[in-house]
Order: sequence, then C-alpha cells, then structure tokens
Amino acid sequence: QDVSAVLHGHVTDSTGKPIGSASVLNEKTGKGTFTDPSGDFSVNVKNGQVLQFSYVGYQTKKVMYSGQTNLSVVLTQNGNGKLNDVIVIGYGTQRKEAVTGSVASISGDKMREVPSANVSEALQGRLPGVSISQTSSQPGATMQIRIRGTRSLTANNDPFIVLDGIPFPGSIGDIDVNNIKSIDVLKDASATAIYGSRGANGVILITTYKGVPGQEPKVSINSYYGVKKVLAQFPMMNGPQLAALRLAAGKFISQNGTITLGADESDSTNTNWQNLLYRDGLVTNEDVSVSAGTKNGSYNFGASYYKDQAVIPTQNYQRFSLHGSVDQGIGKYVRVGFTTNSNYNITEGSQVGLYGALSNSPLASPYNADGSIKYFITTTQDQSWVYTKKVVDSLKNQWLSENKGYASYNSAFGEIKIPGVEGLKYRVNVGLNINIGNSGSFTGEGVNSTNPTAPSTASIGNSVGTDWTIENLLTYDRSFKKSRLNVVGLYSSEQNRYHSTYISGIGIPQDALQYYNIGTASQEIDVLPANQNYWQRGLLSWMGRAMYSYDDRYFISATVRSDGASVLAPGHQWHTYPAISAGWNLTNESFMKSLTFINFLKLRAGFGQTSNQAVSPYSTLGLLSSNPYNFGDATYANGYYVSTLPNPNLGWEYSKTWNYGLDFTILNSRLNGTVEYYLTKTNGLLQSVGLPGTSGVGSYVANVGNTQNKGIELSLNGTIIQNLNGWTWDAGVNLSFNRNKITALASGVTSDQGDGWFVGYPINSIYDYQKIGLWKNAADSASGYLNTLQPGGNVGEIRVKYTGGFNADGTPVRAINSDDRQIMNADPNFTGGFNTRITYKGFDFTAVGIFQNGGILISTLYGGGSYLNLLTGRRNNVNVDYWTPTNTNAKYPKPGGQMSGDNPEYASTMSYFNGSFLKISTMTLGYDFAKDKWLKKATISQLRLYFTVQNPFVLFSPYYKETGLDPETNSYGDQNQAVSSYQHRMLTQGFNTPTTRNYLLGINLTF
Amino acid sequence: CSKVLKEQPRSIYTPAFFQTKTGVLGGLTEMYSHLRYIYGQAYYYNTCETGTDEATYGQSADGNFKVMDMTGQGVIDATTSRSDAIWNTCFTNINTANGVIQYGTSAGVDSSLTSEANFFRAFDYFLLVQTFGGVPLDLGSGDLQFNINPVASSVRNTVPEVYTKCIFPDLIRAVNNLPMSARLTGTITKPVAQLYLAKAYLTYAWWLKNPNNIPTYPAAERTDPDGHNAQWYFQQAYAISTNAIENPGIYGLQPTFYDVNNGANDRNNEIMLYADHTQTSQQYNGSSLTYGSGGAPDNFAGWMLTWNYPNIQSSSSNSSWKAVNSVQRASLQPLGRPWVRMAPPIGVFTNTFADKTNDSRYDGTFTTVYHGNWNLAGISGSLYNANNMQVSPGAPILTFLDSEPSTAIDYSNSVYKSNVGAGVLPGRSDFVIDPNGISRIVYPGLWKLGPYRTDNGSGLGNPNAASTRPFNIDKFSELFFVAAEAAIEGASTTSVTGTYANDGTARGLINIIRARAGKWDYDNNGDSAKIADNSAAMIAATPATITIDYLLAERSREYYGEGYRWFDLVRTQEWANLASSYSICGNNYGDHTPQTITRTIPAYLYLRPIPQGQLDAMQVSEAIKTAYQNPGYQ
Repeated sequence: QDVSAVLHGHVTDSTGKPIGSASVLNEKTGKGTFTDPSGDFSVNVKNGQVLQFSYVGYQTKKVMYSGQTNLSVVLTQNGNGKLNDVIVIGYGTQRKEAVTGSVASISGDKMREVPSANVSEALQGRLPGVSISQTSSQPGATMQIRIRGTRSLTANNDPFIVLDGIPFPGSIGDIDVNNIKSIDVLKDASATAIYGSRGANGVILITTYKGVPGQEPKVSINSYYGVKKVLAQFPMMNGPQLAALRLAAGKFISQNGTITLGADESDSTNTNWQNLLYRDGLVTNEDVSVSAGTKNGSYNFGASYYKDQAVIPTQNYQRFSLHGSVDQGIGKYVRVGFTTNSNYNITEGSQVGLYGALSNSPLASPYNADGSIKYFITTTQDQSWVYTKKVVDSLKNQWLSENKGYASYNSAFGEIKIPGVEGLKYRVNVGLNINIGNSGSFTGEGVNSTNPTAPSTASIGNSVGTDWTIENLLTYDRSFKKSRLNVVGLYSSEQNRYHSTYISGIGIPQDALQYYNIGTASQEIDVLPANQNYWQRGLLSWMGRAMYSYDDRYFISATVRSDGASVLAPGHQWHTYPAISAGWNLTNESFMKSLTFINFLKLRAGFGQTSNQAVSPYSTLGLLSSNPYNFGDATYANGYYVSTLPNPNLGWEYSKTWNYGLDFTILNSRLNGTVEYYLTKTNGLLQSVGLPGTSGVGSYVANVGNTQNKGIELSLNGTIIQNLNGWTWDAGVNLSFNRNKITALASGVTSDQGDGWFVGYPINSIYDYQKIGLWKNAADSASGYLNTLQPGGNVGEIRVKYTGGFNADGTPVRAINSDDRQIMNADPNFTGGFNTRITYKGFDFTAVGIFQNGGILISTLYGGGSYLNLLTGRRNNVNVDYWTPTNTNAKYPKPGGQMSGDNPEYASTMSYFNGSFLKISTMTLGYDFAKDKWLKKATISQLRLYFTVQNPFVLFSPYYKETGLDPETNSYGDQNQAVSSYQHRMLTQGFNTPTTRNYLLGINLTF
Repeated sequence: CSKVLKEQPRSIYTPAFFQTKTGVLGGLTEMYSHLRYIYGQAYYYNTCETGTDEATYGQSADGNFKVMDMTGQGVIDATTSRSDAIWNTCFTNINTANGVIQYGTSAGVDSSLTSEANFFRAFDYFLLVQTFGGVPLDLGSGDLQFNINPVASSVRNTVPEVYTKCIFPDLIRAVNNLPMSARLTGTITKPVAQLYLAKAYLTYAWWLKNPNNIPTYPAAERTDPDGHNAQWYFQQAYAISTNAIENPGIYGLQPTFYDVNNGANDRNNEIMLYADHTQTSQQYNGSSLTYGSGGAPDNFAGWMLTWNYPNIQSSSSNSSWKAVNSVQRASLQPLGRPWVRMAPPIGVFTNTFADKTNDSRYDGTFTTVYHGNWNLAGISGSLYNANNMQVSPGAPILTFLDSEPSTAIDYSNSVYKSNVGAGVLPGRSDFVIDPNGISRIVYPGLWKLGPYRTDNGSGLGNPNAASTRPFNIDKFSELFFVAAEAAIEGASTTSVTGTYANDGTARGLINIIRARAGKWDYDNNGDSAKIADNSAAMIAATPATITIDYLLAERSREYYGEGYRWFDLVRTQEWANLASSYSICGNNYGDHTPQTITRTIPAYLYLRPIPQGQLDAMQVSEAIKTAYQNPGYQ
C-alpha cells in the first residue's frame, strides 16, 4: 500500500503536442522532475500523493495518484493565452511574453524537419529577417547568413554565433544539427547590444540538449540514408547543335565552307561529357545520444557521423562529432558544469572541376579506336585533358585534394549564489577552443595536363586557431509583488589567435608519397610569403543590463556596453553604446477583457547601438606586398611595394537600430504572428578604399561611408485543422522585405565605380551595360544608328542602352562607352519561407519551402566569365536560342559577331536573369510506431520512420524555365568561372557541383 | 588588460619596413620585378604592335586586338585601350622608387644602389609620358615624394615638367652613380642609363620639334623650361649614345643577329635590360612552368603572333587521307602556344624584309618552315604529305616561301588536303604558301619570342606554359639607332672610335648594324649550320642618305615584333604616314587573295586614353574627370 511506484506519463497541450520541460512535482515529497522533449516523464509516487504539473503560460494541474499506469496529462493554456515559450536571450532566458527586443526562435525538432548537414542549411527560409544563401553546392559547404540585410561594405557581415552561452568562433558547419535543442536569433540592437561589437550583424544563440534533473536515462537514435541525383545537367549543346553553332559563327570554316574539325572531332560524334562524369551521390547521417538527470544535476552525451558524397567523383564530406555536457549542483549555493563539442571532418575532391565536362566539344570522342580513353583531345583551337568518372576513379591515388579539420569547442562555468542576498549570483564562464586544419593535394605526373610528362605537384597547408574567453557575470534576479527585476553585469575578455603555413612542391619522385613529404620534391619547394599567416586579435568588454517588468503588462530593458578592440588604431579602440527597449502586453489590460478573440497582444519598441570591428588585424598599419624575381637562373629575391597605406585613425563602424514590433495570438490561440518594422543606420563603414592608380598604392582601410537597411518582417503560424477526426494541419509562413542602400561614401562623392558602390543604391548593385535586346534586323540597326553607337557592330548583336545625347538630325553624338553603364539593383523585393505539417494518427507529413520575388540572378554560365557562351563554336556552348538571319527574335546574339576578349561584345549582359523563384526544399512523410500500444510497453517513446525528398519542385522561376537549373546561387562572384568577373560579395551561379534531388529514408528512435 | 589590445604583426610587413636597409633592398628588387607586369604582358604588347605597320589583328583576335587596329572594329577609349596595363604598375613602382630614394641614405644604402631607383623612376615616367602625355609627379605627398597620403584625386603635370623635373635629373644621377658592371645578373649599369638618357633626350627633342603638329596634353607650350631647343636635345642624345658606344663596358654586339635572339643564348651581352624569367624556379619565375593562364606576370606575348600551326595535318596512309597532326604544339622556339590574336601584314614580307637572302634578320625573326615533330608525340613512322610524298620526322611540312614562285601554287586542295588551306607545288613534299597568300589565320610565326626550355626531354615539353625566357627590353644595338636618328635630325656628328669605330654619320652608324645583319652562322629555318658573310652586300645596299623613314624601316628589321614599333612611330610622328593601310588575306583557311585595308589614325590617338580604372577611382567632380582625360577620349 505504502510502496513507492515509478509512474510513467506523458504531458501534452490541448492540441496533443507534447510539452517538454514541464515541471512534475510530488507535493508531498517536494521532489520532482521535468518532462523530456517528447513530453514524457517518470516520477516516484505513492498512492494518495498529489502530483503538480506546471509549465510557463499554462494552468497548473494537480493529479492524485491512485495506481494509474501511463498517466496522460493535458495542460491548458492560461485563460488569456499567454505564449508559453522560453526564449534564450544573451546571458539568460526570458519568457517570450516579456521579450522586448526582436528575437526569432525555432526549436531543434522543427528545424530538423529539413534533414540537413548544418545549421545554415536547416535555417533557410525558416525565420523572418534571416536570409540564408547558398555560396557553394559542394558537400560540406556552409551558407551565407545575413540578418536584416547587409550593412558593411567590406567588413564582416556574418552574424555572431553563441553556442551554449560562449562565443563560437568556428564554422557553423562544425555544430551537430542533431544535438540542437533550440536556436534563437537576436535581430535588433536592443537584443544584441548585450553582445556589443560582436552583435552588429545579429546574434545566433544555439542551445544544445542537456539532461533534466531527475530524468531517467533516455537514448535517442536518429539515422537517415539517401541517394542524390543530378537535378538538371548544365544545358550544354549536343554535337549537332554545336556543329550548327560553329557553322553559324563562321570562325572555324574550312576552304569548302564546312566547319573545321579538330583532330579528335567528327561531325557524327555526339558525346555527353556530363554523363561520362557524374555519378549518383549519397548522403547519410547517424546520431546517438544519451541524456539523464542525476540528483541535482544532469548530463548529456552523444556521437554522430555524417557523410555527403557528391555527384562529382571523389568529392565528398564526412564529419564525426562528439558532444557532452554536465551540469551539477553542489550543495545549496554552487553549480558547475561544462559543455564540449568536438568534431573531425574531411572534405575531399575539390580538385575535380566541371569546366572540362562542360566546355569539351561534344563532337569529340573520349575514346580511342580500341575503346580506351584518350589522354587528351584536340579541338579546333584547344587541347584538353580527358577526364571521366572512370579516369577520376582510376586516378584516386594520383589526383587528390583533401581538407581535414579538427575542432574542439569547450566551455565550463561555475556559479555561486551569494548567500544572504536573495537573487544574487556570480557566474564565471570560461571558453577554450581549438581549431586545427590540415589540407593536402597531390597531382601526379601528367595528370590534368595535356603534357604526359608535366611534373607532379603537391601542396600541404596547416593551420591552428585557438581562442579563449573569460566572462565574469553578476546577476540579480528578484520578484517583488507585481514587479520583477533582472540585472546583469559583465566583464569579459577574449583573444583569438591563428597561424597557418602552406608549402608546395614540384616533382614528387614517387606517387605513393602524395603530399605527405614535400621535402622529397625534386624540382622545387615553394614557401610563398603571401601564403604564411599569423594574426591575433583581442577584445575587452564591460556590460550592464537591467530588465524590469511590472504586472506582466509593462516591460523595459536597458543595456550599456563598452568594447575595446585590438584591431583598431590606438586611441580609437574603445566605444560605448546604449540600448533600450520596452514592451506593453495589452492582453492583461482590463479594457481588453471583452475582446475574447484576441488571446495575446503585445507592442514592442526599441532603440540601440551596436558596432562592428570586423576588420582584419593589422589593418591600421598598412601592408607591404611582395613580388618574387629571379636575377638569372640562380639568384632569387623578393621585391616589396606598399599595397595598403596605414590609417592611424581607424575606428569603430557602428549601427543604430530602431525596431517596432507587434506580437499577437488570436482565434482561440489557433493563429499567432509577429509583425516588425526596423531601421538600421550604419555609420563609419570600415572598408578598403581603392585608390586611383596615381596614388601609387592600391588601397587603404578607412571608416568611410554610411549604409541603411530598413524593412518589414512578418510571420504567421496557424493551426488550420485542430484534431478533427484525428487530423491536424499546421502551417506557417514568413516574409521579409529589406531595403538596403548606401547613404554616403567617402568625402561626399556619390559613386565608387571601382568597387561598384553608389550612393542611394544597394550594396549589391551591378554596374554594367543594360541589354535592351538585339539589333534585330537591318532596318532597326539603321534606324537605331548601330554604326554610330557600336562601330564594328553587326546586325544580330547585343544592343545596350545608350544614355548620350543626339544631334539635331537625330543621330547619336557618340559611340556607346563606359558612361552608358547602368546601376542595377540585384536585391530581391522580398524573400520568405513557408512550412506546413499535417498529422493523422501516427502519420505526419511536412513540407518546407523558400521563395524570393525579384532581384537579379547572375548566372555567369551565360555571361562572359564562364567561357561557356562564347558563341563561336570553339568550345561547347550553353544551349541558347541565338540570332540567325531566319531567327531574328532570338534572345541571344548572332554567333561570331563583334568580340570583347573571347566573348561576344557586352557578353556580361547575358548573365542577368530575373531572380524570382519558389522552391519546395523538402517534403517528408513519416509514421510513428510508438503510437502503437506494444511499443509503449517496451518503453519506446518514439519509433518514427520517414521518407524525405529534397528539392522536389522549383516553381515561378524564369531562370529555371529557360535553363532547367536550380535558381539558387552556388558561388561567390569571383568563383567557378573561367575568368572571375564580379566582386566576391556578389553571389552568382557558376559551374559548381550540380544541384541534386535527394531521396532519404530515415528513422528516429527514442527509448 | 592592455596586452589584449596590443598588435604585433608576425607574418606581414608594414610600410615601416621600407625604412630599414633590408626593406630598401627589397624595394630595389621590386624595380626589376615590376618589369614583368609590363614586358611579356600580351595585351599591353598588343598596344605597341597592333595598329602599326608591323601587325594587325589575327583570326582569333578579340576586341582587345581589334580596337587597336583602327579599322572600324571598335573604338579605342578609356575602357578598351589596353595601355591601362602600365598605368597602375608604373605608379606603384614610382612610389616604391620614391621610398627607396627617400629612405635609402638614412638606411645606409649606397647611392650606387639607390640610383637604380632613380633610373627606374625615370624609366616609368618616360614610359608614361610617351603613352599618355603629362602625368602627375605628386602621388599625394608632394612631387616625387613617397606617398603616405590616401588621396583620391590627382593633378597631371605637363610633358616638359615630367621630363625636366624627373626623367632628366633622375637619369643623370643614374649615369653618374651607377657602376659599369652589373651588381647581379641583369641589373642596370651606367651604359643602360646612358641609353635611356639618350632616348629620353631624343624623344623630348622630337616633342619640342613637333614636325607634324601632334597635340600634347595637358596643354603646354613647346618651349623648354630649362631654356634649350630641340636641336640641343638632339645633340645631347647623339653625344651620350656615341659615348656609350665608345665605352660599352660589359655590353657589345653579338656576332650574328640569330645569336641575339636565340633562346639558348639568352641574357647575352647585347641585351641591356630585360624582364627576367626562369625555368629553374616556379616561385621566382612568378608564373606556372606548366600552364599559363594568360595574365601578368606571365611572359605570354609570344602567343599572339603564333598561328594555330598544330592544326597542320599529314596522312598516315598513302592510299587515302588519314589525318595525323604532324606539327604538334611543343615548347620549342619555332613553335609554342598559338593564340592567333595578331598577324603580320603582307608588307612585312614584301617591303620590310624584302631582302631575305643577304639579310639574316628575316630568318632570325620568323618561323617560315614548320618541321614535322609527330615523333615527339609518340607517333612512329613516316607520314604522307604534299603530292602524297613520304616525309620523315624533322622534314618540312609547311613552308612560307621567300618569294612568289615561278609556277603557280595549287591551292585547290582537291587531292592533297592541307586542312590549313596551304597549297602544293610540283615535286615538293611540303605544303607551301606564297608571301602574297599570307592571311590572318595562317602566317609565319614569330620565332624571336618563341619559348625555349631545356626540360622537354624526348617529348613536346610544356608548350602551354608562359615563356620562361627573359623578355628583352633594350639592346646595345639601339645606341646606334639613337645616335643615327639624332644625326638625321641635325645633330652634328663626330667619328666614333673603339670597337665599333665608324664615321659617326647616320649611315656610318647604321652600317655597323647592317654589316652584322649580313653575317650568318646558322640557317634557322633550314635548321642547319650556315656560315656566310654578306656584310659587304648589305653595306652596298645602304642608301647614301639615310632618311627618317629608312631608319624606321631598319629599326623594324632589327626589332620586329618586340614592342618598339608604336613608340618609334609616335616619337617620330610618322605613324599615320607609315601605317595608314596594309594588306592581308582573309580570316579563313584557303584565303589567299590580299585585301587592302585602310586605317584611320587621327592625331589625338598619338596619346592613349587615361584608363577608366583611374577615372573610376578618382573621387572628384565629373568636370574634373573629363578634364583629366586626354582630348578625343573625353
């Protein structure tokens, strides 16, 4: 009768969603536990004792134990429908209803609806104001994250990442997605001011799973396996199409008027070089973790393995991760703990480029008469080494590129409640990280060369980065009747240090040595000064923050922070900035009581300053660059010249942000949403200012110019069907409108054409000629003054906008020249994402999508940089609709016309496409067997199988419609082209690893 | 605390390094290194040749080359002109030179060394002033001062200011301080400075004389701030160049013209200045030893005047035409990498190099015979070529004839298929092309600039690498031309003594060069030794009076395709006279009918446009930018 039993149970909200971290307290014994993320709990209880279930924002419920097994408890929200989540803010947590700054949050579970390699990929399209763009389609690549637009011209625009409370200097790709409990993104200055100079670009707070005190050990296993298929091959011409192009271009014509063919070409050959190169990729992820509570403490540890193998032979990424955390109370006053996240990753295969497969003539065969692969092919004007999947695979020990990274991120804390002063705590956080990189590449003799005796080359690079952080925090947290006060004071210091070396060698005597002993290089060992790096940077900070709330109606938060950065010039190193924000929860006002359809309504406003010190160390000092030289064949020396001038006045770049928000929950808590408006003004931009050639120095780093971002963000989440005959349907959508512009440049000038910046225009502007069509026919060429505007131009060529004047007789006064270049805004009108989830009994279906309206997609494949749209027939060409005398309405110009470089005149204008698209990024169908009774008995709380398709659909994309290609960018502006043609910051689509459509099968098991 | 905020760079140099002795010496090395960004850079090379009587655009030419031809294929303007290649390079180096000169003495560097910086500062200003007109002496911290001021504006000095404030004083200092022997292989000496001082005086004398009324910019009176006249400067040019001829130091003329340009004989004593490269170190060569991508500091100028000879095919069968590439791409001086961007007009072969028998310079300039090398590509046995005749490796496969043959060439290719449109003569196993059949797509290659490697082994080597040979900038022979030109323009002459003794007249000086041109020790295109001395015949053919046009033709024979021509024609203001038309056959294989093309060369083109990059980076009003640009391009 009096025997204590272990009661298992499950806590949900009224919609059936499990509530994690709800408190379960035995009123008699005063002992208790918390529910796990699946809402499950186990607690010791005797008959007749009362269990109290409580969770923030919900009405507390009491249940008397009378021998029940598997107790199900449903908590209902407080009458006024308060939001229930706890939000992680800097140096603490806050109930969502009390948040006054701009914070967007997503739980780990929700995020994992998109199976992904890393956090950046998982967040794409999920949070308003958080724009995530692909910069590379290779395995292991992380994405570019921009919170509320780009504000710096050349300083860093990446958000600051905080992992479990400690600044995280590593790559976001090093964080295991499976281990994430929640992500909170601080967007406005009042929220980020606490991070001061680190917070100007927004802050991403990542919280990993911890155990819950008192919880029994729980094991989670997550695993998926998938195949990757090329979504669309690059649309190159086939043999007959190239032959027709070559004939139309007339550049390679033999004496009898037919096209000339290279020694390895024939007009009956039709080789698809992409087919010969691609393979099916695969992706797999295995993850296991254990968490449990101890007496007055908890722990969590786990391991995971991720592998992504690209469709390009030998290209793959693997990551092994380990994580663990311990949190332990010692006595009444002390708490200690640590978190560690380590991973080892390997990236391979970046040596295999796509240019050969795309540019090789389809008229050339890779095979000799005996079926063997040719060493190289000769076309009309080029020779190229032949590589196919077979060749690459057979050379895997002679042609390789590997990057290995080991990173360990560790933090420890100690916390003491100051006896005698209720609510006062002192805490010290110590962070220690190390990041080791090792890269090696080897190219055997004759590999990737048309010369079979081209010497072998090898290179090796090593880097070590170390960081330390110490934070001293004093916290005072108390409630007095209706008031609640939280005050934090901080003093912190941190230092980052990095050192790398890079060595290459020519003539490795034996293939087996690969890159492991460059000392053996028989011809040359190169240690270029520009490839050896060392830097160190430090930051000191003081911060104070007070948060006060009254009667759950009025909230106010105020912060002051002062930062000193080593990278700025002495005398300009320190900067102090304030932030303040306030919120008003109208729901708790008496005049709102009658408006029952409104469950929650809050207004927020904030203002704050943050700053950016994200320039490279030593920027204030100027730089000498070096050029090597040989005096004859035996005397070598390096020459030096000033490439960057010093700037002894280099100081902070700082932003002021105004933020206004409205949070609401209506219709019986079925629909909630947030609307925000913000304005950010950034002054004193840190940038490398290009100097005119006559300065004799390329550039200097200065605080020059201002930018502005303003925008509106909207997010809506609703339950469309709530448990109707077992069906539940949730959907969410978010929209971001950001308007970026440069409001000032150096000393009152309005344009910096060298860098492509113009006052009044966005940072992401294209400065180029504007294509207005083609010179369609003789008549419009004559009436449009082709000969005057474009001397040497022909009918059928690209016609660009002329902005000069006209003579009295209507003729243009001059030829088209650089003055006719236009400033074109590349930013989209708006971007966003949506997600939907339908559940029925054990089944769940989710879909997540992203979209963008407007903007310019720069596809270098179609412009001049890629050398894939030469329109001469010299190399293979993207399959375009080109002008001929009988096809005068074509989009692309006459082949073989006027040239600029190897490309058609104004070739760059062919690379601009409307950037609109909508893309379903994943669709998943799952079934959870744990709803079946027999599994519950086996104490399995979740056994879910699912099937996911990634990249199933692309819609509303003019680019996709024309080319069949994924409209997302895959390169920086100076990458994946034959000749780099844009600023690095501009994201483009080039010939990177093709986008794939992936089919995954996965399992989630928790017991 | 304060330690965390302190900075100590450990992997980079800051500009303060320039105030140390090591830094100053590094600055001096940069003087030489920067030459690679000018000499061998093919787009710049193009601006010195295309549009002159030495070159037009080739079949694979892009806009960079076509606009320079001034035949309606585009307009030379601030964006299209490739003279931009020297703008930033020169000013950056001028600033480095300013630093070396300013800090050298206090850092303990000898004036014989810092005078090298004086030389190169003058060298760069001389290049700029000839190309663009007046250019700024103040980079931001005052005239000829090391710039520590980031200014985004600029004010141009006039042509006479640039000469008299910088070029002349700097070169005089260099002549006075530099040693007679080179400190390292290829470093400059007193005679090199003398050559440049003489050239600068000569060029400035022409500017003062201005015979064809070519405009200057920024506007300046044609009077000398130092109070001299053109005549005085011509006389100075004559005196300094003849003095250097009489006291040549380590320099001299090579025995034959072939020896001057033979890759195996690079860095010979006739070459006074070059942008060095090497195959011994990829790092210090500054460019790949296996594959050049076509950008500075690669030495890739030689690719431009190389036609696509690897397309030449012969047959492996004598019963049907089974194509084999019989002349493969190889890193050999007659071959190299083909870009077909430029082509020599027919006049080069019929006028400039009319004498191909006595004068060895035609044979020592061009590849006129393409020899079979399929064996180097691993293809064994003999092949069948013109007239179905059997040919062995090393045999001529295609020959550009020295003169029109008596029998008409059969270009029909109805039987024997030259896939490059060459023709057949009875009894010859090689395909042939006559001088008047030279086209934009098939033309003799420029042997002079071809690659030379010693690591080809038994194969074709690395023909796609940029040339690892030094790019020659100036030769001892030019002293004779400078003195002769000054003499033609009225400098009083005195007899020259020493190794190169002559009567000191223009004819006497030129005949030293022509006599040497008559000497043969190797038949380049016959690929065999040939000992001949046609000096007497050469001298006999020299006209009694040397005119400026004759001198220019002689310069073209001596320096064809080396990047001198545009400067020669602009200095003497003979550009429009000598280059206003040319003839060449068309763009396609089998085109053998010469077409005459007319160029339009208005006077404003004698100055190149200020590059768009400079205008873009200047943060000044539009009006100031417009005024900064040269007339005609504004």
